[in-house]
Amino acid sequence: MTKRRMFLRMVTASLLRRRSRMLIALLSIGIGATILAGMVTIYYDVPRQMRAQMRSYGANMLLMPAEGETLDSERLSAALQKLPEEKLVGASPYRYVRLDMTSRQQSFTTAGTDFEQVQKTSPYFSVEGRYPEAPREILVGKEIAEMIGVKEGSSMELTWQPAAKDASGSAEDDRVPGATLSGSARGFGDAAVYVTATLDDEARIAELTIDASTQTPEYGGRTAEDALFLKQFIGKSLPLSMNEDVDVLSGATVTSTAVVEALNAATAADAAAKPKTTRYEVTGILVTGGEEEGYVFMSTDDLQTLTGEDRLDVAELSVSADEEQLNAYAEALTGDGVQARLVKRVTKSETAVLGKLQALVFLVTVVVLILTMICVSTTMMAVVSERRREIGLRKALGASDNSIRGEFLGEGMFLGLLGGALGAVLGFVFAQVVSVNVFNSSITFQPLLLPVTVLVSMLIAAASCLMPIKRAVAIDPAIVLKGE
Amino acid sequence: MLFRMIRGVLFHQKGKMLLIAITIALGASLATGMLNVVMDVEDKVNKELKNYGANITVKPKDASLLSDIYDVGDGGALNAAYLREDELGKLKTIFWAFNIVDFTPFLDAQVTLPDGEGAKVVGTWFNHHLSLPTGEELDAGVQGMRSWWEITDGRWLNEADENADQEIMVGALLAERERWTVGESVKLGDRDMTIVGIYDAGGDEDDQIFATLDAVQAMTDREGKVASIEVSALTTPDNDLARRAAKNPAALTSRDYETWYCTAYVSAICYQIQEVITGSVASAVRQVAESEGTILDKTKLLMILITALSLIGSALGISNLVTASVMERAQEIGLLKAIGAKDRSITGVVMTEILITALIGFAAGYGMGFGFAQLIGQSVFGSAIEMNTKVIPVVAGLIALVTVAGSLPAIRMVLRLKPAEVLHGGH
Repeated sequence: MTKRRMFLRMVTASLLRRRSRMLIALLSIGIGATILAGMVTIYYDVPRQMRAQMRSYGANMLLMPAEGETLDSERLSAALQKLPEEKLVGASPYRYVRLDMTSRQQSFTTAGTDFEQVQKTSPYFSVEGRYPEAPREILVGKEIAEMIGVKEGSSMELTWQPAAKDASGSAEDDRVPGATLSGSARGFGDAAVYVTATLDDEARIAELTIDASTQTPEYGGRTAEDALFLKQFIGKSLPLSMNEDVDVLSGATVTSTAVVEALNAATAADAAAKPKTTRYEVTGILVTGGEEEGYVFMSTDDLQTLTGEDRLDVAELSVSADEEQLNAYAEALTGDGVQARLVKRVTKSETAVLGKLQALVFLVTVVVLILTMICVSTTMMAVVSERRREIGLRKALGASDNSIRGEFLGEGMFLGLLGGALGAVLGFVFAQVVSVNVFNSSITFQPLLLPVTVLVSMLIAAASCLMPIKRAVAIDPAIVLKGE
Repeated sequence: MLFRMIRGVLFHQKGKMLLIAITIALGASLATGMLNVVMDVEDKVNKELKNYGANITVKPKDASLLSDIYDVGDGGALNAAYLREDELGKLKTIFWAFNIVDFTPFLDAQVTLPDGEGAKVVGTWFNHHLSLPTGEELDAGVQGMRSWWEITDGRWLNEADENADQEIMVGALLAERERWTVGESVKLGDRDMTIVGIYDAGGDEDDQIFATLDAVQAMTDREGKVASIEVSALTTPDNDLARRAAKNPAALTSRDYETWYCTAYVSAICYQIQEVITGSVASAVRQVAESEGTILDKTKLLMILITALSLIGSALGISNLVTASVMERAQEIGLLKAIGAKDRSITGVVMTEILITALIGFAAGYGMGFGFAQLIGQSVFGSAIEMNTKVIPVVAGLIALVTVAGSLPAIRMVLRLKPAEVLHGGH
């Protein structure tokens, strides 16, 4: 081995070793910075993400009409304008009416709502089947479904019976020229047949519509369409008698009789409050474990068509905000005929649970950060102490304490800068991975965290260099150079 | 000789070894603390989620629907089925009795107020003291299950008071409408009741009156009867098996059935409640049960990922330091090699030194980790974190692995160098 080759090998070995030492220090700072940036990002984002999860508990705010006012879809959307869009998870309008199922002589509380919004405000609703999409599709609560034996795919008829507006008029008194009269009578299968007649100037029947949709289509149902049957009523005066004034439609005796009975009993008040029946398709059975299982759900539009009223009783809002903000929103929404109330059960509990979770993540973050920073400093200390000989040599060559200190600190801080920047990026990546895995949503980047991470890394690197340098500088160069 | 060398290193190079021991102790304490917290966090958060109230409701089998749908409520002929009050204690005898946190019975009555308006009186337990046949004592009732109620005036009704049956609590809206204040006496039916508290529940209950179960039973001649029970239970989030079982437990294979019955799924607890309460139907309140599952799963996953990060961080930190310390001893290793020591024996000596240091660090770290876990448990949840013995081998293994992984490659690298180069002290 020649002298020159030996020298070359010594230099390369030294360089290699030196580089790996630098790498160790850089790695250590990088790990510390990654944990710092990652944990702090998670800590800041967890409440927001958890709050979004907490929304699975359902609505936390109710919008109701103020005393003596009514709520309609227009007022609701006007009120919702006052909420920041990104905070509003969902808003389900509700209108409750009682509808009759005449064939079973039952009546059910029916809720008119917006199914798309319901899935946002009440994610815990479980539907066996599917949510209604097309008109005249409904959901039936599990308890009702079990009681009357309907399943997904079956259909049921529901009747809206408006409150009679003026019940004083009698059938005879109402038969005045130009009046519109309505009435109903039991037809085939004890189901109702509805008629509406308009009278002419001499109080004779000018127009007649028959609603026999509850009757068998091939038999009684034909009464509504058969032109000859309908024509014989025109120009006659009420009351009518069967077989004298009009003839039965063959094959539909019972229904024909019901039409005549309904006409004889028809009043003006009934015309103003004519019951309406529609057949609905059941697309799913609703399971909630709560009182909703005793309700029928249909779309607001369907209920409006049935009742002819644009009215809402209440709107359930799911708002992603803390209690204080919710109170502020509730205050802002109240007015213009609506009032907002918080659902205490949800808001109070959310505050309590979120508080605990946040405290948990906070403490964990603090403990992890402290431990990691100490780990980083011990590694830095080890790396610097190793260079005591070098320090001694420089001192022996006449370098001042301050210049040595400055040089080492500068080097440490440069490593801190590099490791901190690296860690800030890696930390964000880590937080992003956590967020996507746990919450299925991406995390918000905290721009302030980048300089903070770099600064903290530099400070820690500098601080952990300081102690070993101080010790090395204080010792006599001769002792240091000698070894132990 | 080996011992002397190791002793020498441990005692004469105290500073360096102390640094390694401290770092390992910190890493071990972090791992111990975090793993213990993760294992217990589900239980702890589950208890916190009990704030949301009951997750199971129990109703009589036949009448459950009718009173809700027809609003007959008050003793109508339709609502003829009841549960028995004397069976309530049995809730604490089911397989998952320990998971039943709280429960309370309800019995409603419709009364006419002095001004002619109607109001709903709810009879229930407030802080009912139960002494179970098992020797267990507990207080059950709405005071625990309505944690969100705000007492705006007065106090909670205390069942231990002598005349508790003549006392009522009134919802804020009703009290405002009727201009009632605390201390006032109100005639309900033919009874004089004293208002002891006014609450703001932020819901339907603001329009109701709450009285003791005994009072409402006497008022409506339904002694010993209960219309429904709310139960708050700690449950395991549902999985596929639980969902299948909830539909029809009879359709499960006997092995699946056993797994299901012996897991605290909400459907299994419901099933067991139905077994002990005569003529009852217990159903999960999905609003609470389902959401609980989501939150628990998310919290656990979050903690697991944070733990993983801190474990990786401390593992890298430890092996980094160990590598640095081995490289620092390159001269010593070079000297050993120069005087003829074999590579294997050098590796043995250095590794033994580091592993002994690691053991000391681990012992100290486990103690510190215990402290961290308790600090977190006490300050966040107000209760101790259960220390899981499974954590000890996991952390010990991790530390051993990390130390070896950190030192072996470094020793190999140093050994590959020629003694002359190392002893020359090239930097």
